[in-house]
Amino acid sequence: MTRSSFRKWFWLHKWTSLVCTAFLLLICVTGLPLVFRDEIGNLLDDSLPYASVPAGTPVISLDRIAGKAREMYPGEQLMSTFTDDDEPKIVAFMVPSWQALAANRKSIHWIKFDAHTGDVLKHSEPFDADGKSFLQWMLGLHRDLFAGLAGELFLGTMALLFVLALVSGAVVYGPFMRKMDFGTVRADRSPRLKWLDLHNLLGVVTIGWTLVVGTTGIINELSTPLFGLWQATDVKAMLDPMRGKPIPALVEQTSVQAAFETAKGALPDMEMQSIAFPGSPFGSPYHYLIWGKGKEPLTSRLFSPVLIDARTGELTSIVNMPWYLRALEVSRPLHFGDYGGMPLKIIWALLDLVTIAVLGSGLYLFLSRRSSSMPEQEAELGASYAASPARLPAGAAE
Amino acid sequence: MSARVRGSFTQIWRWPTVLALLIVFGLLSALLGGGGPWWLLSWIALSMPLAVILICIRRRRLA
Repeated sequence: MTRSSFRKWFWLHKWTSLVCTAFLLLICVTGLPLVFRDEIGNLLDDSLPYASVPAGTPVISLDRIAGKAREMYPGEQLMSTFTDDDEPKIVAFMVPSWQALAANRKSIHWIKFDAHTGDVLKHSEPFDADGKSFLQWMLGLHRDLFAGLAGELFLGTMALLFVLALVSGAVVYGPFMRKMDFGTVRADRSPRLKWLDLHNLLGVVTIGWTLVVGTTGIINELSTPLFGLWQATDVKAMLDPMRGKPIPALVEQTSVQAAFETAKGALPDMEMQSIAFPGSPFGSPYHYLIWGKGKEPLTSRLFSPVLIDARTGELTSIVNMPWYLRALEVSRPLHFGDYGGMPLKIIWALLDLVTIAVLGSGLYLFLSRRSSSMPEQEAELGASYAASPARLPAGAAE
Repeated sequence: MSARVRGSFTQIWRWPTVLALLIVFGLLSALLGGGGPWWLLSWIALSMPLAVILICIRRRRLA
């Protein structure tokens, strides 16, 4: 590599890092508890415990759940249910009325049922009465700084700069290591030299992971708006013909459990998760809108909505995700590290801590640089090529 | 052998390349393998970069 191209790459590494470091530190720190979000969520959850039942106990019918929810809140509307895929729970979301929901999205509240016994485990205040949970704070800071789409695109840009910093960092790693064995840490000289070596070592051995998690981080930030775009086009096109039609009376609606089974039969490779009930603004006036998702880690973020006519119980239509969204969604699990048991989560957290050390040491190297003029920097750089390992100047990282 | 020449591209990038390949293998084996031995292989492969860090820092202390 020529000296001038080295300087260009080094300039790129320095500035892409500097711009994104503060946000990346925030992302890494908030990401740490998010790796264990299932465990922390369970720990902080004050619901009643699940009933212990013999293996193979069937799950309660959704008709029973819907009936119980409506009995608990007479006169209210059942908006949707959510059937969890790894915990025996079914959550029912209710609103005082469709008009109240239109006026205030935060009027939604929920009841959590045991999926085997149908017992109530917890019910919430309306959303604006309960504060944000610890994990919601972490996720908000990690994903969009509570600024919605603008925040997602901003942090996506920071992730892009991070990936550029990784690539340029790898390019300048070579010249730094020309006179040294892999993994050398010169601890007996200046602290700056020690941290330069640690920055290089920690950065280069984990670069495969940081590139994957950084790139899938960008993809995650892009997939939310693209998912919204799909809902606003294909899914809306599916729902548009029904808009404004009358909502059938409750007694005229067919069994929700039967609709669930019909959807399962139509998409055997998918798990049915949530159901928007007739009248929900997120569904249709006279259909159950049932969302299926893939069963395997790879397909876990591929969704298909199924429309079942609530007057007849017949399947009306199925929409598949477009190719561009499928391509994005299959890569998303690689960001979360939650598909390989607890040991993988621990490794994820340790690699996250290493990344924090790389960011912190990079910041230290920048802040502790000597205020040298350009010619001096050139001399140092030249010396780093010529010097023996022991004589490599600390200022070479300048 | 060129790989042994200090400062050559091969010498500088041999270990980082091996570790990057292990990471890619580890990530994919957990994602595509569907549990069992593939998870175990994933944990071993993804622990390697962490082990290398520990070894290098320890070696510095001993030196």
